[in-house]
Amino acid sequence: MRAGSYEIKLVKRISLTNLRALMLSVIAGVVALFAFGFVFVAAGIDPFMAYQKIFSFSFFNDFGLPLTINRFIFLLLCTYAFIIPFRAGLWNIGMPGQLYAGSLAAFGVLHVLDIGKSTTSHMSPLIIWGLMLAAAAVAAAATGAIAGFLKGKYDINEIVVTMMLNYMAYWLVSYMIKEGGPFMNPGGRGESFELPSSLHAPLIWGSPYTLLIALALGLMLFHMFAKTKLGYEIRAYGQNPAAASYAGISRFRIPLLVFILGGAIAGLAGYHYFGAVPGVYKIARNYGFFGDLAFYGIICGLISRGNPLASIPVAFLFGGLSVGGRYVQGELGMSFGLDYALLGVLMITLVAFQFFYQYQIVTTRIRKETSDVGILH
Amino acid sequence: MWEFFIRSLDASTIFLIAGLGELIGQRSGVLNVGIEGAMLFGATLGFMTAQSTGSYLLGFLVGMAIGGLLGLMHGFFSISLKVDQVVSGMGIWILGFGLTTYLGAPYAGPLGMDRIPTVMGLSPFFVLAVVLAGAVWFVLSKTSLGLQIRSVGEDPSVAEVSGINVSKTRYYCSIMAGMLMGLSGAIYSLDYNPVWNYNFLQGWGFIALALVFFSLWNPFILLGGSVLFGTFWQLSLNPQLVLPGLMSRYVWRMVPFAITLGVLLMMSTKWFRDRWGSAKPQALGQPYFKD
Repeated sequence: MRAGSYEIKLVKRISLTNLRALMLSVIAGVVALFAFGFVFVAAGIDPFMAYQKIFSFSFFNDFGLPLTINRFIFLLLCTYAFIIPFRAGLWNIGMPGQLYAGSLAAFGVLHVLDIGKSTTSHMSPLIIWGLMLAAAAVAAAATGAIAGFLKGKYDINEIVVTMMLNYMAYWLVSYMIKEGGPFMNPGGRGESFELPSSLHAPLIWGSPYTLLIALALGLMLFHMFAKTKLGYEIRAYGQNPAAASYAGISRFRIPLLVFILGGAIAGLAGYHYFGAVPGVYKIARNYGFFGDLAFYGIICGLISRGNPLASIPVAFLFGGLSVGGRYVQGELGMSFGLDYALLGVLMITLVAFQFFYQYQIVTTRIRKETSDVGILH
Repeated sequence: MWEFFIRSLDASTIFLIAGLGELIGQRSGVLNVGIEGAMLFGATLGFMTAQSTGSYLLGFLVGMAIGGLLGLMHGFFSISLKVDQVVSGMGIWILGFGLTTYLGAPYAGPLGMDRIPTVMGLSPFFVLAVVLAGAVWFVLSKTSLGLQIRSVGEDPSVAEVSGINVSKTRYYCSIMAGMLMGLSGAIYSLDYNPVWNYNFLQGWGFIALALVFFSLWNPFILLGGSVLFGTFWQLSLNPQLVLPGLMSRYVWRMVPFAITLGVLLMMSTKWFRDRWGSAKPQALGQPYFKD
């Protein structure tokens, strides 16, 4: 395209420096929040006041901050579940299904040990927590493995598969906790039995211990992608599966592995919300809401460009925004689903920004002599 | 039983119309994984319009228009900006899922209008869907426009050399695809089940996407697949009709999704691919770079 004596061209970026990526991500976030401001304007609410309320509730309020931290742990785990396959160029949108499977398995441990009905247990809580975590990770990894296996072995679109698994797991949870299902709460309120108080997760600085697990996972994943052979193979597969397979990287093993790893982490997210967050300690009736929230993991993963350490502040910010969104919705009398609307606006803005991550706009001045002798070229 | 059969055909209408949209888009090389988002938008805005104006016609038109706009947006992202088509499609889905939850919330509940008249219980939209399937088949395989669309989906650079405007063709197909998805959503919320509830589609769009792969990009196979899955879906809602008391109703709800997985698996075996695998548009999902 030409404008005067300048030529404007789209050039595909060969590489993107970390600094520039960070800059683009920050701009994307700001643009998304600006765009979301129009949702407030449309509802006749001053967006600055609304944002101020959101931020002060989520980050500077004794009641809101713990909610934000719990949400942050959940989102961070979901983000990791998304970015491990994402670095391999695959889309894990099966976090809801995987976390439902993980929650069912964690509560399944209690069910098998027959702890749910009696309030005391002869086993050490430490062992039971360990079993719950392990069961959640294994069950969710197995759910993820289905998608990874079908992708690796038969090249079946992982989006369709993970989505089908999401709905299957969703109804499985309904079956387990409602209408006489095995995990039904004795009160019959359409939710699962409760964790006995002796098994309430230990708190560290007022937050569930899963916080440490999530942060440690971040460091481990960063190390894995940067320094290990597996991390390299995942990245190579993500760049170009065909080229990677010439280099001896298996087109079966990588999809399977990334979905197992991602699934396992999503399972921990399920355990975290239903088994470790103070005041929950059961598979809640509105468990579908937590499945929906898991999609924030996609956004955190996209904006942090698949970087496990960059995901930490991003998940904290969006955790706060989603908590604050729900709060101002009630406070300002707005209609249900403000946090969902935010999810949508953030997502579509990030999609538009994918363009800037891949291309840059280059303007060059057209020199007179070259444009005159064009026929010789 | 007649009622169940009719209800199944009504359900298949929704799969079929959304699937036909996706099929047109995919034939031109544009993969849109955000069908469910476009359907949610069409359903929600159609519902809101119909309820506030009292006009079904306006509801359907708005549903189609918003679907077309989303198709245009998908085209802009994936054709002009060359963003990965999967990324853009996921964006449409999550935008639809998120925004319609908020927009529709004040309208939650039944539509409260007279039902659309039926012929012996059958919705006129089923007839429309079958006619559409025939029309799409005719245009795609018997007209020069169809040849143009297919060539763009198979090998865009060859199409370009033979004088076809690749970007323009893909844009039109993507918009058309979006309009059909929006219409399908509006049929759901205005005719099939006129009650608004948040994220009520619960996977219809994704099953429609799987059905397009299943159809080998042939509108008539898509019609057959839609009727089959419409029946499965109704069965999963009313298991007592066939096997009363066998399993919990929640377990039955899992069945259509499990069958979808089974069908996808069957289609991906070497045996199947060797015979029918070549039906897939060669350039599906790939952005076109003009050099």
